[in-house]
Amino acid sequence: MKSDDGRALHAYVDGELDAASILELESRMAADPSLRAAYERLRDTSAAVRTQAEYFRAPAHLRAASRVAKRPALLAGAFAAVAAIAFATGLIVGRPGGDEGFASEAVAAHVRANLSGRLIDVASSDQHTVKPWFSARLPFSPAVADFSPAGFELAGGRLDFVGGEPVAVMVYKRRQHLIDVYVGRAPASAGVTTERGLTKDGFNVEQFSAAGLRYYVVSDLNRNELADFVGLLRKSGGA
Amino acid sequence: MNGDRARFEQTVLPHLDAAYNLARWLTRNDHDADDVLQEAMLRAYRHFAGLRGEARPWLLAVVRNACWSWLQANRPADVEPLDDGIADDSLPGPEAALARTLDRRLLNEAIAALPVQFREVLVLRELEDLSYRDIARVAGIPIGTVMSRLARARRLLAESLSVAAAPRLRVHK
Repeated sequence: MKSDDGRALHAYVDGELDAASILELESRMAADPSLRAAYERLRDTSAAVRTQAEYFRAPAHLRAASRVAKRPALLAGAFAAVAAIAFATGLIVGRPGGDEGFASEAVAAHVRANLSGRLIDVASSDQHTVKPWFSARLPFSPAVADFSPAGFELAGGRLDFVGGEPVAVMVYKRRQHLIDVYVGRAPASAGVTTERGLTKDGFNVEQFSAAGLRYYVVSDLNRNELADFVGLLRKSGGA
Repeated sequence: MNGDRARFEQTVLPHLDAAYNLARWLTRNDHDADDVLQEAMLRAYRHFAGLRGEARPWLLAVVRNACWSWLQANRPADVEPLDDGIADDSLPGPEAALARTLDRRLLNEAIAALPVQFREVLVLRELEDLSYRDIARVAGIPIGTVMSRLARARRLLAESLSVAAAPRLRVHK
């Protein structure tokens, strides 16, 4: 073998060798079994990676997000629609303990999460995983409970930014429906308030405050079941 | 403007799998690949007007740079400069013959364990089928360095997957 055979063999395997060098290398391989064997080992290694190594395909939500990201008009449209829903339903107006910015932003955040597919940062049905995850990242620590026995399964949590502050989002599943619970610090003036729900265009929103935190529950689940869920949540949240 | 978007979708988005595959191999986990790729796609869209030539190596270069920025911030030990000034085109020796039946999990682990400089040229060559010239462009290194890193990557890989490296499979003497 010559000293530059290594480079030539790699280039040969990679189809990067010029015609004259290919002929020269092939005739030498025919005469030199050790060169031939070196080529075969190289070819096998290359083939193993090509045929056996994992090829990671982009998850569907990234594909969708890449389209959405390039269509500010579409995204703005979605936000405008959500804002219109929030506004038209009077979500904002005259709600005891409510905060209009927070409520409409929570709904917008819910839509945004669904559009981009970024629903969950920490996927776990274990409240003992989700709660410390929030504690490590937020200046407050919401109570996290799994309500699977009642049919509301804890799916995980994510962080979002609503009303100018970081919030915890607990994500629950009920059949095909997702329930987002946005939890942020309540303004100092807010005491314990009762929830008031509203329904509009498929989104139901419930809100209440308890133990210094405010909760906005956003889902396309029906009102009755969502009210059951909020009842469970209020008990676990100390309201 | 709408024409630009349509053109971006037609020329760049078909390479999203390649972009994700590279990000996933460089960051080595789904979550970070996801984050880095979202960032990279925004960057690609912003700089789309500067695209000359083929979209695939161009997009992979954008993704590669986003990955390296992420690694520098989050995995600084991974991107410490390599001492690969010495040309090294050594071939795997006979002792590095691959085991006849290859365990895919071991293969993936062995690739993931390669230093990132070797891992990226290997992934670009074997999984994305890029030419030396395109790899040089994506990774921002001379073609000679592409060749020596690819040679090192293959040798390290062959050694870690060889029959000799799998003592569990060895027959007792």
